[in-house]
Amino acid sequence: MAMIRAGLQRIANIFSGPQGGILSRFATNLVPVESKPVPETTKDVIAACNKLIEQNASRNFAIVHLLGKQWRITDGDLLVVEGYWPPNIGDKLTLDKVLLAATKDFSLIGRPLVQPGLVTVTATVISKGLSHTRTHFKKKRRKQFMRINFQRAQQTILRINSIEIANKVNEAPKNVF
Amino acid sequence: MSAKNLFLPAAFVRAPLQNGVGRYVCQLQRITFKFCKSHGGSRGLRDFIEQNLVEFAKENPGVVVYMKPRRHRSPVIVGEYLNGDRVWMSVHNKTHDEITKWVEVMRTQQGDVSSSRLRKYQYTDHPSIQGPWTPFTFKIPELNTAQLPDPKFGANNRLPQSATEELRLMFEKQKLNVKEEELKVAE
Repeated sequence: MAMIRAGLQRIANIFSGPQGGILSRFATNLVPVESKPVPETTKDVIAACNKLIEQNASRNFAIVHLLGKQWRITDGDLLVVEGYWPPNIGDKLTLDKVLLAATKDFSLIGRPLVQPGLVTVTATVISKGLSHTRTHFKKKRRKQFMRINFQRAQQTILRINSIEIANKVNEAPKNVF
Repeated sequence: MSAKNLFLPAAFVRAPLQNGVGRYVCQLQRITFKFCKSHGGSRGLRDFIEQNLVEFAKENPGVVVYMKPRRHRSPVIVGEYLNGDRVWMSVHNKTHDEITKWVEVMRTQQGDVSSSRLRKYQYTDHPSIQGPWTPFTFKIPELNTAQLPDPKFGANNRLPQSATEELRLMFEKQKLNVKEEELKVAE
């Protein structure tokens, strides 16, 4: 039994020897700066983020999903959404599909969306108009084929009013819905 | 019409006077309906005036509505906006429904938006908040003081295991097995 154990030890030594062993190239040589246990570090990070949220130290930004597209937005941005969309001018909206929200110092990444109620993104519809006339021109040479179509898409301009991190990280959600 | 597209001025998304930041202001200020009282081409516009115009004016107290009857000329709608734009549109032979829709477009747009091609569909004053990415972002700060070439940073640790290394591994394992067998025999 002892022999077998010795043998296993030798195998283990090959894989993780004093010089990192044969598998050293698959592992990082990085030593963590602080040798704190993981849960404690997580708590510290969350506390730091919560402190930053409270201080409201820097500008926030978010990535929202809107009509099949993802937009990186911050306060005061203008977006142009194309296609039929019911909201009318002057309407105030909350954009709920927040994929990521971040400040200068940390990012909250959703899987795929951040916790509902954690981030509030509000926007105002400014203008609903039509795009310029787009020409679709098709021609096949030597085939007596020619088509020309014109189209104008509906364009809605949105103003982003605010991106607020409403709740604290890792806290129970406030029931907003 | 198609050739006009090629000479379209290009523009970026803008909103006049920070519209929508504090409150929203309707951008249409004045709308003029020019029509003929007798000709058939103005029929749709006349229907609109009879049926919808009073309601339209009531619903939009911020918009000044003018009407200009003129004999034997085709009907026209002109909208004037807060940013100085003037949108002229002929509604000759358009039906009542079509005119209702076009008036709604006139009311909701913020100036002559369709006269220019948009270059970008987003406008932001803050293109980057966490700082733009550079090749040195998220790198180890040790790299700044390291003397290169350095075996630590120059290590080839991105490629998959090579055949040579696999052979070496197999060889080591084999050696161990042989020894174990020998040991077992010895037991």
